[in-house]
Amino acid sequence: MLDAIDKQVLKEVADLEGVPKGAYNIRKNGQLVGREVSANINIEASEKGDGITINIKPGTVNESVYIPVILSQAGLHDVVYNTFIIGEDADVTIVAGCGIHCGSSESEGHSGIHEFQIKSGAKVKYVEKHVALGEGTGRRILNPTTKVFMEENASAEMELTQLGGVDEAKRYNEAQIGAGSVLLITERVMTEGSQAAESRNDIELSGTDSKANIVSRSVVKGDSNQDFYVNLTARAKCYGHIECDAIIMDNGTNQTIPALKALHPDAEMTHEASIGKIANDQLMKLMSLGLSYDAAVNKIIQGFLK
Amino acid sequence: MLELQNISFTAPESDSGSDSPPVRSIINDISFTFEPGKFYAITGPNGSGKTTVAKLIMGINKLTDGKITFEDKDISQMSINERSQAGIVYGFQNPARFKGTTFRDLLSIAAGTDDEDALTDIIARVGVCSFDFLDKPVDSKLSGGEIKKIELATVIARNPKVAIYDEPDTGIDLWTIGPMVDLLKKEQAENNTTTIVVSHNKSFLEAADTLLLIKDGKIGYTGDLEGAMPMLEDLSVCTFSEKCEGEGNARCYR
Repeated sequence: MLDAIDKQVLKEVADLEGVPKGAYNIRKNGQLVGREVSANINIEASEKGDGITINIKPGTVNESVYIPVILSQAGLHDVVYNTFIIGEDADVTIVAGCGIHCGSSESEGHSGIHEFQIKSGAKVKYVEKHVALGEGTGRRILNPTTKVFMEENASAEMELTQLGGVDEAKRYNEAQIGAGSVLLITERVMTEGSQAAESRNDIELSGTDSKANIVSRSVVKGDSNQDFYVNLTARAKCYGHIECDAIIMDNGTNQTIPALKALHPDAEMTHEASIGKIANDQLMKLMSLGLSYDAAVNKIIQGFLK
Repeated sequence: MLELQNISFTAPESDSGSDSPPVRSIINDISFTFEPGKFYAITGPNGSGKTTVAKLIMGINKLTDGKITFEDKDISQMSINERSQAGIVYGFQNPARFKGTTFRDLLSIAAGTDDEDALTDIIARVGVCSFDFLDKPVDSKLSGGEIKKIELATVIARNPKVAIYDEPDTGIDLWTIGPMVDLLKKEQAENNTTTIVVSHNKSFLEAADTLLLIKDGKIGYTGDLEGAMPMLEDLSVCTFSEKCEGEGNARCYR
């Protein structure tokens, strides 16, 4: 069922040694290769048959779901629609992610469209990691879409990571945040060679006392390019913050466009953005602790993307 | 053992007009020998070149002229990290603030180990840092005092032969300065660390075996604190009185 390459991909994407404990769904080359449900977490094919619906019962706590995707078939462009329904007062971790193993000159791609319905009082941590491995020269393409609908007093923490290997990435994140709910998105992207990554975000603070914090950390190496857009709209008394930092190395290019829109007099919104090379004082400090120039650069990047 | 031989440093003049010279002399022909295991304080007015001397020793600024030798080896052309590996470490006046990098990361680099017990031992030895600091990112959220304590700890963690502290008391509360002086004295005594502190603070000046007073890029005085007092008092005479006690101002607010 899972060969050595698949296991390597699973390790990279979801930190898994073989099949996980608890609920999971492993998709490989557009096919289901393994699924397990638990008493509180149900996974079934969606009605249209183009993805899965993950239903987490109200009050489920300290459980996790793994839904990794493996892609290793040349020329395949897989599209999947997944829906997550997280019941009232549940507290769960969802580990998603896609690993592409490319062994030929043909391109491979995955577009995961994920919709989250987070019910009142629920708490979810969503970890999504994208990796691409293999010796092939085919382009590796990942276009994820994440739509989040939060009811009241819910909290969601999303960690979205893509550290190298992916040639083209177009991400779209959309969120509606209800009263008293908190959304934290942290995106970490490293591109190199001639790779390109784009992230577009439309986040709406729609309920009273809703909060959003959008953090983006980009490292742009080689001749690669990254573009980052956020539109943060406030429709109620709320708090929103955008923080985007990009480190440029070699001849990388970057565009960062944070936008704040207040449609309510009690909206409180801030943003900070920076683009630049690695700060000289950081390099000097690490070199004064004995690291070579190159080792100091690596340490700073590691910390930045951690 | 650490010897400055006729060192000079000039920097490009930032606002040079057509008739002024294009370079400004910051350090002008300084020679001095730091003996192993001694405690030195470098003091002097603002802009006199104290920090520049420290940065020239560490290799952060490159000499314009002269030579620096350490343990009979010319280190003038060595990079910062080579000097660090040779045993010289500098605690910055304005420590770098990172994004994501934690105190644990810096301490592990300095100590050459990420072993939990070893790091805990260092924090206990330094004393002035709390254990809660360990997983804090060393970023702009830290207060001025907190980052200076972290800076101090990273210097000590390297067990340097020569430790240079650039105004280590900036932002530190009054009650911590005494313990900080004791700590540097203890490191000096137990590890025979040659200690060089750039400071205006009387506690450090009193702790030093030898005091160097730098004025206009030259050494104005070397010796003990008592001998330096006339010159220090002279420096404390305010030269701004014409500006702040003129017609528009009633008195001095210093």
